[in-house]
Amino acid sequence: MATAPAVDKPRATAPGTPAAPRKKGILSHWRLYAAISPFYLLFLCFGLIPVGFSLYLSFHRWDGLGAMEFAGLSQYKYLIGDSDFWSSIGNTIVIWALATVPMIALAMVTAVMLNSAVRFKNVYRFAYFLPNVTSVVAVAIIFGSVFSTNFGLMNALLQALGLDQVAWLNTPWGIKVAIASLMTWQWTGYNAIIFLAGLQTIPGDLYEAARMDGAGPVQTFFRITLPLMRPVLLFVLVISTVTGLQSFTEPQVLLQTTSNDSTFAGGPDHAGRTMVLYFFQQTFDNNDFGYGAAVAWGIFLVVVLFSIINWRLVQRRDEA
Amino acid sequence: MLSRRGLLRSGLAGTAATALGGLASGCAVPTGSTGRDMVLWYWNGGLSPKAVDAAKARFDSEVSLKALQIGGYYRSKLITTMTGRAHVPDIAGLKGEDMASYLPNSAQFVDLRTLGAEKFKSRYLDWKWQQGVADDGTLIGFPIDIGPVVHFYQPAVFEKAGLPYEPADVSRELGTWEQFFAAGEQLKKRVRGAYLLVDILSVYENSVNQGTKRYVDRDKHFIGDQEHVRTAWDRAVEARRRGLLSSIVNGTPDANAAVEKGQLPSQLGAAWAAGDLKVNVPKTKGKWRVANCPGGPANNGGSFLAVTKACREPERAFEIMTWLLNPANQVQGFVDSGLFPSTPASYDMGQLRAPDAFFGGQITMDVMGPTAERIPVAYNSPYDVALGQPIKDEIKNVGVLGKDPKKAWNEAMSKCRRIADHLGVSV
Repeated sequence: MATAPAVDKPRATAPGTPAAPRKKGILSHWRLYAAISPFYLLFLCFGLIPVGFSLYLSFHRWDGLGAMEFAGLSQYKYLIGDSDFWSSIGNTIVIWALATVPMIALAMVTAVMLNSAVRFKNVYRFAYFLPNVTSVVAVAIIFGSVFSTNFGLMNALLQALGLDQVAWLNTPWGIKVAIASLMTWQWTGYNAIIFLAGLQTIPGDLYEAARMDGAGPVQTFFRITLPLMRPVLLFVLVISTVTGLQSFTEPQVLLQTTSNDSTFAGGPDHAGRTMVLYFFQQTFDNNDFGYGAAVAWGIFLVVVLFSIINWRLVQRRDEA
Repeated sequence: MLSRRGLLRSGLAGTAATALGGLASGCAVPTGSTGRDMVLWYWNGGLSPKAVDAAKARFDSEVSLKALQIGGYYRSKLITTMTGRAHVPDIAGLKGEDMASYLPNSAQFVDLRTLGAEKFKSRYLDWKWQQGVADDGTLIGFPIDIGPVVHFYQPAVFEKAGLPYEPADVSRELGTWEQFFAAGEQLKKRVRGAYLLVDILSVYENSVNQGTKRYVDRDKHFIGDQEHVRTAWDRAVEARRRGLLSSIVNGTPDANAAVEKGQLPSQLGAAWAAGDLKVNVPKTKGKWRVANCPGGPANNGGSFLAVTKACREPERAFEIMTWLLNPANQVQGFVDSGLFPSTPASYDMGQLRAPDAFFGGQITMDVMGPTAERIPVAYNSPYDVALGQPIKDEIKNVGVLGKDPKKAWNEAMSKCRRIADHLGVSV
């Protein structure tokens, strides 16, 4: 606290006098740094140090309890040739796409409907937001029933339409669709609320002008609403990429069957094994913490790649 | 009155003090328990809560036993505290399926032989005792329960299919896999929509468990490509070829519904699976019987207690442990939590010989007891999980997706060779 008098100095040199060259620049702001320090201290302890340790770990072999053994780049060499890891990236992207495309369309439609004058607007907003705050585990258990083969709601629906039963959780595509629809259900309402906020920033006189020019509701939507919503759309896309690339609980709970089987296997043909699920299996089923860390860094690179793509998309908007 | 600036300053000082205090106390985190506490970690259903309470009362004059039920992924939480060397429990439950991965780290635990464990050895099943011994001879795990695999079946459905339905007859006439499969064909023909087996893993897994070898041997050599695994694989493929497998996903509401309707009248499961039946399909009470598992006895699951190196009073911990797991308390464990005793003396005790209404008044111990004593001893390697999984995954693809068995086997083997090479297991 010896710096305290020093801080008061600049105050003493009353306003108007030219600012003295600040040699103790950083120290003079100690209060501000102290004020933001709790976050950084916590981040250091629970964020940066574990991240750094995982990098260190990825160059070792470790069973989690015994001595660590230096392994050089061998974990990464193994990762590059690991077809299971590559297929888990594929699964993640396919499930993400299956979930995101219908989700954005549905959320947009919902938002437009909510934006038009309806009664009980707040009740609807609350109802649409509810799936997002419900525990994923609970939702996944319910969806397990919905998609079960013989007595599930989904197959009852198909049969009512005169279609054949689908063994949803026992076929590779069925699994992907089931996981994706769970994610769609959970995120549609959340994104609809964000879209709604975006819609409300569009000035009403634009719509008025369009109406005077004789534009119909469909034309108005595609010519005015959609272009002006582009930044919000991109935001939603970024968020859904972030959550989609991390999907873990959904497949894990939906596809866990019996004690005979690994909870992280991802169903037949590993159809539901996402990147994070694969990371868990390698780390906690196989007790291969070194390789698990390498897989985690592989996932990090994939996320970086997607972030760059997203960033480029946003950049292009700014240039336009 | 405090000025705003003063308030801010005192707030900051408080934050800083808290942060510093946190760091300072961080250095003083105790490795193990403190005071007169004796901390015991287990999981829901891992020990009988009544027996734990009784132990608390019994040893209260010497220590205060703090028994904590740890939820979630138990093993990772335990090794996290052990690796972090902070708040390590004195006594720790070790799950059976994780046991192989603790054994190479025997230095983390107290060798129970040094506490006089040998004199309790004769009380426990020998094969179970051996599973708690590390390669260097250290005794780490003290036996809690075991999981003898038996054949649960619904006699009414078996009778309808013209199959034997009295437990003794089922044990005798469906005693081999071949007889069991033939019965499955008959069942399918006579009872519409009924299947003998829920999925392919119930054949494959139990067949492997019936053997004395698994996937990796003591010399760290991969043996999952040998005859014993191949036999289990071929048997599972045969069950699929003969159309004995249902298309139901095990453990789902579908499976429960099918069981209730008598379409899955047979289950090969460990003794603890009886508890699952009672919870999942309570309406089938009285409709079940227990017989021997076709192909011979096998074990699935069962856990241990261990004393960690952080324990300050290993002798006391061992005293509590041996009391908690004595034959009388093991009976309590079976009654409360379905933990099948690892102490043969318990099998003759009154409460275990009580007729079970869920099984139509059958004394299930007549089947389970003799099974428990004849379980083959197999070596469990810490690499078994990693090297067994690709084979299980591929047999599942054969069972569910109808993948060509030859192709599936070859892919499983090439994947195993790659993983073995990565883990330093010789092929």
